[in-house]
Amino acid sequence: MAGVIRAAGLAHSKRWAPVLEAETIRRTLRIGWRYLLIGGGISLLLTCELLFLGKSHAAAFNMTFPLETPLFAVMGSVGGLMTFTSDRTKGVYEYLLAYGVRPRGLFINGLLATAAMSGIILTVSLSVGLGLAVERGVTFTESFWEAIAYYTIPMAFAGALVTSTVGMIWASIASPRTGFNSPVGLAPMIGIGPTILVLLAAGTAPSSDYYYITGGASLALILIALGLLSLSAKLMDRERLLSNL
Amino acid sequence: MSTSSSVRAPTDSLPRTGARHRIVVNNLRSGYHGKIVLEDVSFTIEDPAIYVVLGANGAGKTTLFRTLAGVLEPTSGTVEIDGVNARGHTAAAPIQYLSHIEGIPDGLTVDEALRFYAKVQGAAAPDVERVLQLLDLGELRHRFFSELSQGQRKRVSIGRVFLQERGIYLLDEPTSNLDPKLSREIRDLVLGLSQNDLVLYSSHNLFEAKEIGKYVLVLKAGRVAYFGLLSDLRPKKYIIGIRASGADGILSEASKKGEYYLQELAGPEEVPKLVQELAAKGVQIREVKEMENPLEDLFT
Repeated sequence: MAGVIRAAGLAHSKRWAPVLEAETIRRTLRIGWRYLLIGGGISLLLTCELLFLGKSHAAAFNMTFPLETPLFAVMGSVGGLMTFTSDRTKGVYEYLLAYGVRPRGLFINGLLATAAMSGIILTVSLSVGLGLAVERGVTFTESFWEAIAYYTIPMAFAGALVTSTVGMIWASIASPRTGFNSPVGLAPMIGIGPTILVLLAAGTAPSSDYYYITGGASLALILIALGLLSLSAKLMDRERLLSNL
Repeated sequence: MSTSSSVRAPTDSLPRTGARHRIVVNNLRSGYHGKIVLEDVSFTIEDPAIYVVLGANGAGKTTLFRTLAGVLEPTSGTVEIDGVNARGHTAAAPIQYLSHIEGIPDGLTVDEALRFYAKVQGAAAPDVERVLQLLDLGELRHRFFSELSQGQRKRVSIGRVFLQERGIYLLDEPTSNLDPKLSREIRDLVLGLSQNDLVLYSSHNLFEAKEIGKYVLVLKAGRVAYFGLLSDLRPKKYIIGIRASGADGILSEASKKGEYYLQELAGPEEVPKLVQELAAKGVQIREVKEMENPLEDLFT
Protein backbone atom coordinates (compact mmCIF):
# COMPACT_ATOMS: atom_id res chain seq x y z
CA MET A 1 0.00 0.00 0.00
CA ALA A 2 3.05 2.25 -0.10
CA GLY A 3 1.95 3.78 -3.37
CA VAL A 4 -1.40 4.71 -1.97
CA ILE A 5 0.07 6.20 1.14
CA ARG A 6 2.49 8.25 -0.91
CA ALA A 7 -0.27 9.55 -3.13
CA ALA A 8 -2.80 10.13 -0.40
CA GLY A 9 -2.90 13.33 1.53
CA LEU A 10 -1.29 15.47 -1.10
CA ALA A 11 -1.83 19.13 -0.48
CA HIS A 12 -4.32 20.78 -2.79
CA SER A 13 -1.67 22.67 -4.72
CA LYS A 14 0.91 19.91 -5.06
CA ARG A 15 -0.80 17.60 -7.51
CA TRP A 16 0.30 18.15 -11.09
CA ALA A 17 -1.54 17.65 -14.33
CA PRO A 18 -0.73 14.23 -15.74
CA VAL A 19 1.80 13.97 -18.56
CA LEU A 20 0.49 11.55 -21.15
CA GLU A 21 2.54 12.18 -24.29
CA ALA A 22 4.43 8.88 -24.17
CA GLU A 23 1.27 7.02 -23.22
CA THR A 24 -0.66 8.55 -26.14
CA ILE A 25 2.12 7.70 -28.59
CA ARG A 26 2.24 4.12 -27.30
CA ARG A 27 -1.53 3.72 -27.66
CA THR A 28 -1.48 5.30 -31.11
CA LEU A 29 1.16 2.87 -32.30
CA ARG A 30 -1.01 0.07 -31.03
CA ILE A 31 -4.24 1.35 -32.59
CA GLY A 32 -2.66 2.58 -35.82
CA TRP A 33 -0.11 -0.13 -36.62
CA ARG A 34 -2.02 -1.03 -39.77
CA TYR A 35 -1.42 2.46 -41.11
CA LEU A 36 2.29 2.10 -40.41
CA LEU A 37 2.21 -1.05 -42.52
CA ILE A 38 0.12 0.59 -45.26
CA GLY A 39 2.24 3.77 -45.42
CA GLY A 40 5.58 1.95 -45.22
CA GLY A 41 4.39 -0.90 -47.44
CA ILE A 42 3.14 1.24 -50.35
CA SER A 43 6.28 3.37 -50.16
CA LEU A 44 8.40 0.23 -50.34
CA LEU A 45 6.41 -1.13 -53.30
CA LEU A 46 6.85 2.07 -55.31
CA THR A 47 10.52 2.20 -54.40
CA CYS A 48 10.91 -1.35 -55.70
CA GLU A 49 9.09 -0.35 -58.89
CA LEU A 50 11.50 2.55 -59.36
CA LEU A 51 14.57 0.44 -58.71
CA PHE A 52 13.70 -2.87 -60.30
CA LEU A 53 11.21 -2.29 -63.13
CA GLY A 54 12.40 0.84 -64.94
CA LYS A 55 15.28 1.01 -67.40
CA SER A 56 16.99 4.15 -66.10
CA HIS A 57 16.30 3.31 -62.48
CA ALA A 58 19.02 5.58 -61.00
CA ALA A 59 17.59 8.72 -62.60
CA ALA A 60 14.03 7.73 -61.78
CA PHE A 61 14.95 7.05 -58.17
CA ASN A 62 16.87 10.31 -57.75
CA MET A 63 13.96 12.31 -59.12
CA THR A 64 10.86 10.49 -57.84
CA PHE A 65 11.76 8.94 -54.49
CA PRO A 66 12.13 12.26 -52.57
CA LEU A 67 8.83 13.50 -54.00
CA GLU A 68 6.65 10.48 -53.28
CA THR A 69 7.86 9.64 -49.79
CA PRO A 70 5.98 12.45 -47.91
CA LEU A 71 2.70 11.26 -49.41
CA PHE A 72 3.00 7.98 -47.52
CA ALA A 73 4.28 9.54 -44.31
CA VAL A 74 0.98 11.43 -44.15
CA MET A 75 -0.66 8.07 -43.46
CA GLY A 76 0.79 8.40 -39.97
CA SER A 77 -1.74 11.11 -39.21
CA VAL A 78 -4.53 8.55 -39.53
CA GLY A 79 -3.25 6.74 -36.45
CA GLY A 80 -3.05 9.97 -34.46
CA LEU A 81 -6.55 10.95 -35.53
CA MET A 82 -7.94 7.53 -34.74
CA THR A 83 -6.69 7.80 -31.18
CA PHE A 84 -8.10 11.31 -30.84
CA THR A 85 -11.56 10.51 -32.20
CA SER A 86 -11.75 7.19 -30.39
CA ASP A 87 -10.82 8.77 -27.04
CA ARG A 88 -13.39 11.50 -27.55
CA THR A 89 -16.15 9.10 -28.55
CA LYS A 90 -15.40 6.70 -25.69
CA GLY A 91 -15.52 9.50 -23.12
CA VAL A 92 -11.84 9.26 -22.20
CA TYR A 93 -11.44 13.02 -22.51
CA GLU A 94 -14.20 13.60 -19.98
CA TYR A 95 -12.04 11.82 -17.41
CA LEU A 96 -8.78 13.41 -18.52
CA LEU A 97 -10.33 16.88 -18.21
CA ALA A 98 -11.65 15.96 -14.75
CA TYR A 99 -8.17 14.85 -13.70
CA GLY A 100 -6.59 18.10 -14.79
CA VAL A 101 -5.49 17.61 -18.40
CA ARG A 102 -6.14 20.79 -20.35
CA PRO A 103 -7.73 20.75 -23.83
CA ARG A 104 -4.48 22.05 -25.30
CA GLY A 105 -2.71 19.02 -23.85
CA LEU A 106 -5.13 16.69 -25.61
CA PHE A 107 -4.47 18.36 -28.98
CA ILE A 108 -0.71 18.39 -28.43
CA ASN A 109 -0.77 14.69 -27.54
CA GLY A 110 -2.61 14.03 -30.82
CA LEU A 111 0.00 15.98 -32.76
CA LEU A 112 2.91 14.23 -31.09
CA ALA A 113 1.35 10.85 -31.78
CA THR A 114 0.95 11.85 -35.43
CA ALA A 115 4.54 13.06 -35.59
CA ALA A 116 5.73 9.76 -34.11
CA MET A 117 3.72 7.69 -36.60
CA SER A 118 4.82 9.77 -39.57
CA GLY A 119 8.40 9.73 -38.30
CA ILE A 120 8.37 5.94 -38.23
CA ILE A 121 6.97 5.68 -41.78
CA LEU A 122 9.47 8.27 -42.99
CA THR A 123 12.40 6.56 -41.28
CA VAL A 124 11.44 3.15 -42.63
CA SER A 125 10.81 4.51 -46.13
CA LEU A 126 14.08 6.43 -46.24
CA SER A 127 16.27 3.75 -44.72
CA VAL A 128 14.82 0.87 -46.75
CA GLY A 129 14.65 2.96 -49.96
CA LEU A 130 18.22 4.25 -49.63
CA GLY A 131 19.47 0.79 -48.69
CA LEU A 132 17.86 -0.80 -51.73
CA ALA A 133 19.16 2.01 -53.96
CA VAL A 134 22.72 1.46 -52.72
CA GLU A 135 22.25 -2.24 -53.32
CA ARG A 136 21.20 -1.47 -56.91
CA GLY A 137 24.27 0.70 -57.38
CA VAL A 138 22.43 4.03 -57.61
CA THR A 139 24.61 7.12 -57.34
CA PHE A 140 22.84 9.88 -55.49
CA THR A 141 22.88 13.33 -57.05
CA GLU A 142 23.30 16.57 -55.11
CA SER A 143 19.75 17.61 -55.91
CA PHE A 144 18.54 14.27 -54.47
CA TRP A 145 20.00 15.13 -51.08
CA GLU A 146 18.67 18.68 -51.31
CA ALA A 147 15.22 17.35 -52.07
CA ILE A 148 15.40 14.96 -49.11
CA ALA A 149 16.51 17.77 -46.77
CA TYR A 150 14.28 20.58 -48.03
CA TYR A 151 11.22 18.75 -49.22
CA THR A 152 10.89 15.12 -48.16
CA ILE A 153 11.57 15.38 -44.44
CA PRO A 154 9.92 18.75 -43.66
CA MET A 155 6.95 18.12 -45.92
CA ALA A 156 6.32 14.68 -44.46
CA PHE A 157 5.91 16.18 -41.01
CA ALA A 158 4.18 19.35 -42.23
CA GLY A 159 1.59 17.39 -44.22
CA ALA A 160 0.95 15.02 -41.33
CA LEU A 161 0.64 17.82 -38.78
CA VAL A 162 -1.75 19.85 -40.93
CA THR A 163 -3.83 16.73 -41.49
CA SER A 164 -3.85 15.92 -37.82
CA THR A 165 -4.73 19.46 -36.71
CA VAL A 166 -7.53 19.91 -39.23
CA GLY A 167 -8.80 16.41 -38.45
CA MET A 168 -8.83 17.00 -34.69
CA ILE A 169 -10.66 20.32 -35.03
CA TRP A 170 -13.09 18.76 -37.47
CA ALA A 171 -13.67 15.78 -35.21
CA SER A 172 -14.30 18.10 -32.25
CA ILE A 173 -16.87 20.30 -33.93
CA ALA A 174 -18.64 17.50 -35.79
CA SER A 175 -20.78 14.68 -34.50
CA PRO A 176 -18.59 11.61 -34.17
CA ARG A 177 -19.02 9.21 -37.02
CA THR A 178 -16.97 6.48 -38.53
CA GLY A 179 -16.17 5.34 -42.01
CA PHE A 180 -14.77 7.05 -45.05
CA ASN A 181 -16.91 10.17 -44.65
CA SER A 182 -15.21 11.08 -41.39
CA PRO A 183 -12.14 13.07 -40.34
CA VAL A 184 -10.21 9.83 -40.04
CA GLY A 185 -11.33 8.57 -43.44
CA LEU A 186 -10.58 11.82 -45.22
CA ALA A 187 -7.36 12.59 -43.37
CA PRO A 188 -4.92 11.23 -45.94
CA MET A 189 -6.49 13.36 -48.68
CA ILE A 190 -6.28 16.49 -46.52
CA GLY A 191 -2.59 15.82 -45.98
CA ILE A 192 -1.76 14.97 -49.57
CA GLY A 193 -3.35 18.22 -50.79
CA PRO A 194 -0.75 20.66 -49.43
CA THR A 195 2.07 18.30 -50.31
CA ILE A 196 1.08 18.28 -53.99
CA LEU A 197 0.24 22.00 -54.06
CA VAL A 198 3.69 22.89 -52.76
CA LEU A 199 5.26 20.69 -55.43
CA LEU A 200 3.22 22.40 -58.17
CA ALA A 201 4.08 25.86 -56.83
CA ALA A 202 7.77 25.00 -56.65
CA GLY A 203 7.64 23.58 -60.20
CA THR A 204 6.59 26.97 -61.63
CA ALA A 205 9.42 28.82 -59.89
CA PRO A 206 13.02 29.13 -61.13
CA SER A 207 15.06 26.06 -60.24
CA SER A 208 17.35 28.09 -57.99
CA ASP A 209 14.33 28.93 -55.80
CA TYR A 210 12.88 25.42 -55.79
CA TYR A 211 14.06 24.30 -52.41
CA TYR A 212 13.51 27.68 -50.79
CA ILE A 213 9.87 27.34 -51.80
CA THR A 214 9.48 23.75 -50.62
CA GLY A 215 11.37 24.32 -47.36
CA GLY A 216 9.56 27.61 -46.71
CA ALA A 217 6.19 26.08 -47.49
CA SER A 218 6.87 23.20 -45.10
CA LEU A 219 7.78 25.62 -42.35
CA ALA A 220 4.69 27.72 -43.11
CA LEU A 221 2.47 24.64 -42.96
CA ILE A 222 3.92 23.60 -39.60
CA LEU A 223 3.34 27.14 -38.27
CA ILE A 224 -0.22 27.12 -39.63
CA ALA A 225 -0.87 23.79 -37.91
CA LEU A 226 0.52 25.05 -34.61
CA GLY A 227 -1.39 28.33 -34.93
CA LEU A 228 -4.65 26.51 -35.61
CA LEU A 229 -3.97 24.23 -32.70
CA SER A 230 -3.27 27.08 -30.32
CA LEU A 231 -6.39 28.96 -31.42
CA SER A 232 -8.65 25.93 -31.23
CA ALA A 233 -7.39 24.97 -27.77
CA LYS A 234 -8.18 28.49 -26.59
CA LEU A 235 -11.47 29.04 -28.36
CA MET A 236 -13.01 25.60 -28.41
CA ASP A 237 -15.52 24.90 -25.65
CA ARG A 238 -14.64 22.01 -23.39
CA GLU A 239 -17.94 20.34 -24.19
CA ARG A 240 -16.70 19.84 -27.74
CA LEU A 241 -14.37 17.22 -26.32
CA LEU A 242 -17.11 15.23 -24.62
CA SER A 243 -18.69 12.11 -25.99
CA ASN A 244 -22.17 12.34 -27.44
CA LEU A 245 -23.02 8.95 -25.97
CA MET B 1 -18.41 -11.39 -14.82
CA SER B 2 -15.98 -13.71 -13.12
CA THR B 3 -17.28 -16.69 -11.22
CA SER B 4 -16.92 -14.94 -7.91
CA SER B 5 -17.98 -11.34 -8.11
CA SER B 6 -17.97 -10.33 -4.49
CA VAL B 7 -16.03 -7.18 -3.81
CA ARG B 8 -13.97 -6.80 -0.65
CA ALA B 9 -15.00 -5.07 2.52
CA PRO B 10 -14.98 -1.34 2.02
CA THR B 11 -13.73 -0.16 5.37
CA ASP B 12 -10.01 -0.46 4.63
CA SER B 13 -10.23 0.09 0.90
CA LEU B 14 -8.25 3.29 1.02
CA PRO B 15 -5.95 5.00 3.47
CA ARG B 16 -7.47 8.16 4.87
CA THR B 17 -6.03 11.62 4.84
CA GLY B 18 -8.20 12.84 7.66
CA ALA B 19 -8.58 16.15 5.85
CA ARG B 20 -12.03 17.71 5.78
CA HIS B 21 -13.32 18.87 2.42
CA ARG B 22 -15.85 21.44 1.36
CA ILE B 23 -17.70 22.27 -1.84
CA VAL B 24 -19.37 25.65 -2.17
CA VAL B 25 -21.51 26.27 -5.23
CA ASN B 26 -22.78 29.78 -5.71
CA ASN B 27 -25.33 30.98 -8.31
CA LEU B 28 -24.04 28.43 -10.77
CA ARG B 29 -25.15 28.51 -14.40
CA SER B 30 -23.80 25.87 -16.71
CA GLY B 31 -24.67 24.06 -19.91
CA TYR B 32 -23.58 23.11 -23.39
CA HIS B 33 -23.03 25.12 -26.55
CA GLY B 34 -24.76 28.16 -25.11
CA LYS B 35 -27.78 26.21 -23.89
CA ILE B 36 -28.20 26.66 -20.15
CA VAL B 37 -28.94 23.45 -18.25
CA LEU B 38 -28.23 24.50 -14.65
CA GLU B 39 -29.63 27.80 -13.45
CA ASP B 40 -28.97 29.60 -10.16
CA VAL B 41 -27.71 26.52 -8.34
CA SER B 42 -26.29 27.19 -4.89
CA PHE B 43 -25.37 24.84 -2.07
CA THR B 44 -22.59 24.07 0.38
CA ILE B 45 -21.54 20.60 1.43
CA GLU B 46 -18.94 19.77 4.04
CA ASP B 47 -20.35 17.06 6.29
CA PRO B 48 -18.69 13.75 5.26
CA ALA B 49 -21.64 11.75 3.95
CA ILE B 50 -23.40 10.55 0.86
CA TYR B 51 -25.30 13.29 -0.89
CA VAL B 52 -27.75 11.70 -3.27
CA VAL B 53 -28.46 13.82 -6.31
CA LEU B 54 -31.87 13.08 -7.77
CA GLY B 55 -33.72 14.39 -10.74
CA ALA B 56 -35.63 13.30 -13.79
CA ASN B 57 -33.82 12.82 -17.09
CA GLY B 58 -32.60 16.20 -18.30
CA ALA B 59 -32.86 17.80 -14.85
CA GLY B 60 -29.14 18.60 -14.92
CA LYS B 61 -27.53 15.89 -12.76
CA THR B 62 -24.78 15.01 -15.21
CA THR B 63 -24.17 18.68 -16.00
CA LEU B 64 -23.81 19.38 -12.28
CA PHE B 65 -21.29 16.55 -11.87
CA ARG B 66 -19.34 17.64 -14.93
CA THR B 67 -19.21 21.22 -13.73
CA LEU B 68 -18.12 20.25 -10.21
CA ALA B 69 -15.43 18.01 -11.71
CA GLY B 70 -14.13 20.83 -13.89
CA VAL B 71 -15.04 19.03 -17.10
CA LEU B 72 -17.36 21.91 -17.97
CA GLU B 73 -16.65 25.52 -17.17
CA PRO B 74 -19.55 27.40 -15.58
CA THR B 75 -21.22 30.04 -17.70
CA SER B 76 -21.44 32.12 -14.54
CA GLY B 77 -21.33 31.64 -10.80
CA THR B 78 -18.64 29.86 -8.85
CA VAL B 79 -17.62 26.40 -7.70
CA GLU B 80 -15.19 26.39 -4.80
CA ILE B 81 -13.43 23.19 -3.83
CA ASP B 82 -11.70 23.49 -0.45
CA GLY B 83 -11.74 27.25 -0.80
CA VAL B 84 -10.20 27.28 -4.27
CA ASN B 85 -12.24 28.55 -7.21
CA ALA B 86 -12.53 25.55 -9.49
CA ARG B 87 -13.07 27.56 -12.66
CA GLY B 88 -10.41 26.40 -15.11
CA HIS B 89 -10.08 23.27 -13.03
CA THR B 90 -6.58 21.96 -12.39
CA ALA B 91 -5.24 18.62 -11.34
CA ALA B 92 -4.97 20.02 -7.84
CA ALA B 93 -8.63 19.46 -6.95
CA PRO B 94 -9.06 16.48 -4.60
CA ILE B 95 -11.77 14.89 -6.74
CA GLN B 96 -12.45 11.38 -7.92
CA TYR B 97 -14.93 11.36 -10.76
CA LEU B 98 -17.11 8.64 -12.23
CA SER B 99 -19.07 9.60 -15.31
CA HIS B 100 -22.00 7.60 -16.63
CA ILE B 101 -19.70 6.92 -19.61
CA GLU B 102 -17.06 4.24 -19.19
CA GLY B 103 -14.20 6.27 -20.63
CA ILE B 104 -11.79 3.39 -21.13
CA PRO B 105 -9.45 3.87 -24.11
CA ASP B 106 -9.69 1.49 -27.04
CA GLY B 107 -7.50 -1.57 -27.25
CA LEU B 108 -6.56 -1.87 -23.56
CA THR B 109 -6.83 -4.82 -21.23
CA VAL B 110 -8.35 -4.38 -17.77
CA ASP B 111 -4.87 -4.22 -16.25
CA GLU B 112 -3.67 -1.68 -18.83
CA ALA B 113 -6.81 0.43 -18.44
CA LEU B 114 -6.31 0.69 -14.68
CA ARG B 115 -2.60 1.41 -15.15
CA PHE B 116 -3.51 4.14 -17.64
CA TYR B 117 -5.76 5.82 -15.09
CA ALA B 118 -3.25 5.22 -12.29
CA LYS B 119 -0.80 7.23 -14.36
CA VAL B 120 -3.43 9.91 -15.02
CA GLN B 121 -4.11 10.21 -11.30
CA GLY B 122 -0.53 9.88 -10.13
CA ALA B 123 -1.22 6.56 -8.41
CA ALA B 124 1.28 3.69 -8.38
CA ALA B 125 1.42 0.04 -9.45
CA PRO B 126 0.44 -1.28 -5.99
CA ASP B 127 -2.72 0.81 -6.23
CA VAL B 128 -3.70 -1.07 -9.37
CA GLU B 129 -3.14 -4.40 -7.63
CA ARG B 130 -5.23 -3.25 -4.68
CA VAL B 131 -8.10 -2.19 -6.95
CA LEU B 132 -7.94 -5.45 -8.92
CA GLN B 133 -8.32 -7.26 -5.63
CA LEU B 134 -10.89 -4.86 -4.19
CA LEU B 135 -13.25 -5.25 -7.14
CA ASP B 136 -12.42 -8.90 -7.76
CA LEU B 137 -10.98 -8.16 -11.19
CA GLY B 138 -7.93 -10.39 -10.87
CA GLU B 139 -9.25 -13.04 -13.23
CA LEU B 140 -10.13 -10.43 -15.82
CA ARG B 141 -6.91 -8.45 -15.72
CA HIS B 142 -5.56 -9.72 -19.05
CA ARG B 143 -8.89 -9.61 -20.87
CA PHE B 144 -9.54 -6.75 -23.27
CA PHE B 145 -12.03 -4.25 -21.87
CA SER B 146 -14.07 -4.46 -25.07
CA GLU B 147 -14.62 -8.20 -24.46
CA LEU B 148 -16.19 -7.75 -21.02
CA SER B 149 -19.86 -7.91 -20.08
CA GLN B 150 -21.64 -4.71 -19.08
CA GLY B 151 -21.35 -5.51 -15.37
CA GLN B 152 -17.65 -6.31 -15.66
CA ARG B 153 -17.06 -3.09 -17.57
CA LYS B 154 -18.81 -1.14 -14.87
CA ARG B 155 -16.62 -2.73 -12.23
CA VAL B 156 -13.48 -1.68 -14.09
CA SER B 157 -14.91 1.78 -14.57
CA ILE B 158 -15.72 2.09 -10.87
CA GLY B 159 -12.33 0.67 -9.92
CA ARG B 160 -10.77 3.82 -11.29
CA VAL B 161 -12.16 5.94 -8.44
CA PHE B 162 -10.55 3.68 -5.85
CA LEU B 163 -7.04 4.08 -7.27
CA GLN B 164 -6.32 7.05 -5.08
CA GLU B 165 -7.94 8.67 -2.07
CA ARG B 166 -8.98 12.18 -2.95
CA GLY B 167 -11.64 13.12 -0.42
CA ILE B 168 -14.40 14.17 -2.81
CA TYR B 169 -16.19 11.57 -4.91
CA LEU B 170 -18.52 12.53 -7.74
CA LEU B 171 -20.29 9.37 -8.81
CA ASP B 172 -22.78 9.75 -11.64
CA GLU B 173 -25.14 6.77 -11.63
CA PRO B 174 -22.58 4.21 -10.44
CA THR B 175 -25.11 1.39 -10.22
CA SER B 176 -27.07 1.96 -13.41
CA ASN B 177 -27.51 -1.21 -15.49
CA LEU B 178 -26.04 -3.41 -12.77
CA ASP B 179 -27.59 -6.52 -11.31
CA PRO B 180 -28.84 -6.24 -7.70
CA LYS B 181 -25.89 -8.16 -6.25
CA LEU B 182 -23.25 -5.99 -7.83
CA SER B 183 -25.28 -2.85 -7.07
CA ARG B 184 -25.26 -3.87 -3.43
CA GLU B 185 -21.51 -4.42 -3.48
CA ILE B 186 -20.88 -1.05 -5.07
CA ARG B 187 -23.16 0.65 -2.55
CA ASP B 188 -21.21 -1.00 0.27
CA LEU B 189 -17.97 0.34 -1.13
CA VAL B 190 -19.44 3.82 -1.43
CA LEU B 191 -20.83 3.64 2.10
CA GLY B 192 -17.29 2.91 3.27
CA LEU B 193 -16.05 6.05 1.56
CA SER B 194 -18.71 8.27 3.03
CA GLN B 195 -17.46 7.78 6.57
CA ASN B 196 -14.72 10.31 5.93
CA ASP B 197 -15.32 11.82 2.54
CA LEU B 198 -17.85 13.83 0.59
CA VAL B 199 -19.68 11.60 -1.84
CA LEU B 200 -22.11 12.98 -4.41
CA TYR B 201 -24.06 10.10 -5.85
CA SER B 202 -26.67 10.38 -8.55
CA SER B 203 -29.29 7.76 -9.07
CA HIS B 204 -32.71 7.19 -10.57
CA ASN B 205 -33.43 4.55 -7.96
CA LEU B 206 -35.33 6.19 -5.10
CA PHE B 207 -35.07 3.15 -2.85
CA GLU B 208 -31.32 3.05 -3.33
CA ALA B 209 -31.19 6.77 -2.61
CA LYS B 210 -33.16 6.33 0.58
CA GLU B 211 -30.96 3.45 1.65
CA ILE B 212 -27.57 5.10 1.30
CA GLY B 213 -28.12 8.84 1.36
CA LYS B 214 -27.80 11.06 4.38
CA TYR B 215 -28.57 14.18 2.38
CA VAL B 216 -30.57 14.58 -0.79
CA LEU B 217 -30.27 17.23 -3.46
CA VAL B 218 -33.10 17.25 -5.94
CA LEU B 219 -32.79 19.03 -9.26
CA LYS B 220 -35.84 20.05 -11.24
CA ALA B 221 -35.38 21.67 -14.63
CA GLY B 222 -31.83 22.70 -13.73
CA ARG B 223 -32.64 24.26 -10.36
CA VAL B 224 -32.31 22.95 -6.83
CA ALA B 225 -35.79 21.87 -5.79
CA TYR B 226 -34.72 20.46 -2.42
CA PHE B 227 -31.50 20.11 -0.49
CA GLY B 228 -31.45 18.76 3.02
CA LEU B 229 -31.31 15.78 5.29
CA LEU B 230 -33.15 12.77 4.00
CA SER B 231 -34.40 12.15 7.53
CA ASP B 232 -36.18 15.51 7.47
CA LEU B 233 -38.34 14.37 4.60
CA ARG B 234 -41.73 13.02 5.48
CA PRO B 235 -44.08 11.45 2.97
CA LYS B 236 -47.40 13.23 2.50
CA LYS B 237 -49.06 10.05 3.74
CA TYR B 238 -47.41 7.75 6.24
CA ILE B 239 -48.42 4.26 5.18
CA ILE B 240 -47.04 1.06 6.65
CA GLY B 241 -47.43 -2.49 5.40
CA ILE B 242 -48.02 -5.27 7.89
CA ARG B 243 -47.34 -8.91 7.00
CA ALA B 244 -49.17 -10.96 9.51
CA SER B 245 -51.33 -14.01 10.11
CA GLY B 246 -54.53 -14.17 12.11
CA ALA B 247 -55.44 -10.64 11.01
CA ASP B 248 -58.62 -11.51 9.13
CA GLY B 249 -61.46 -9.40 10.41
CA ILE B 250 -59.04 -7.21 12.31
CA LEU B 251 -57.15 -5.62 9.43
CA SER B 252 -59.07 -4.70 6.30
CA GLU B 253 -58.68 -7.10 3.35
CA ALA B 254 -59.60 -4.22 1.05
CA SER B 255 -56.40 -2.43 1.87
CA LYS B 256 -54.22 -5.46 1.20
CA LYS B 257 -51.34 -5.09 -1.24
CA GLY B 258 -49.72 -8.43 -1.94
CA GLU B 259 -48.95 -9.98 1.42
CA TYR B 260 -49.15 -6.66 3.25
CA TYR B 261 -52.10 -5.05 4.99
CA LEU B 262 -51.78 -1.31 4.46
CA GLN B 263 -52.42 1.09 7.32
CA GLU B 264 -52.26 4.85 7.14
CA LEU B 265 -50.92 6.47 10.30
CA ALA B 266 -50.14 10.00 11.40
CA GLY B 267 -46.44 9.16 11.67
CA PRO B 268 -43.86 6.56 12.74
CA GLU B 269 -44.55 7.35 16.40
CA GLU B 270 -47.89 5.55 16.09
CA VAL B 271 -46.34 2.27 14.93
CA PRO B 272 -45.50 0.74 18.38
CA LYS B 273 -49.01 1.45 19.65
CA LEU B 274 -50.60 -0.21 16.61
CA VAL B 275 -48.30 -3.24 16.92
CA GLN B 276 -49.21 -3.63 20.58
CA GLU B 277 -52.94 -3.40 19.82
CA LEU B 278 -52.71 -5.98 17.05
CA ALA B 279 -50.62 -8.34 19.20
CA ALA B 280 -53.18 -8.01 21.99
CA LYS B 281 -55.86 -9.12 19.50
CA GLY B 282 -53.86 -12.24 18.67
CA VAL B 283 -52.41 -11.08 15.35
CA GLN B 284 -49.03 -12.65 14.66
CA ILE B 285 -46.95 -9.91 13.07
CA ARG B 286 -44.07 -11.06 10.87
CA GLU B 287 -42.99 -7.78 9.35
CA VAL B 288 -43.80 -4.09 9.43
CA LYS B 289 -42.38 -1.76 6.81
CA GLU B 290 -42.84 1.73 5.45
CA MET B 291 -44.61 1.53 2.11
CA GLU B 292 -44.06 5.11 0.94
CA ASN B 293 -40.74 6.64 -0.01
CA PRO B 294 -40.69 10.35 0.87
CA LEU B 295 -38.45 10.91 -2.13
CA GLU B 296 -41.32 10.00 -4.43
CA ASP B 297 -43.15 13.14 -3.35
CA LEU B 298 -40.27 15.24 -4.62
CA PHE B 299 -40.97 14.03 -8.12
CA THR B 300 -44.72 14.69 -8.08
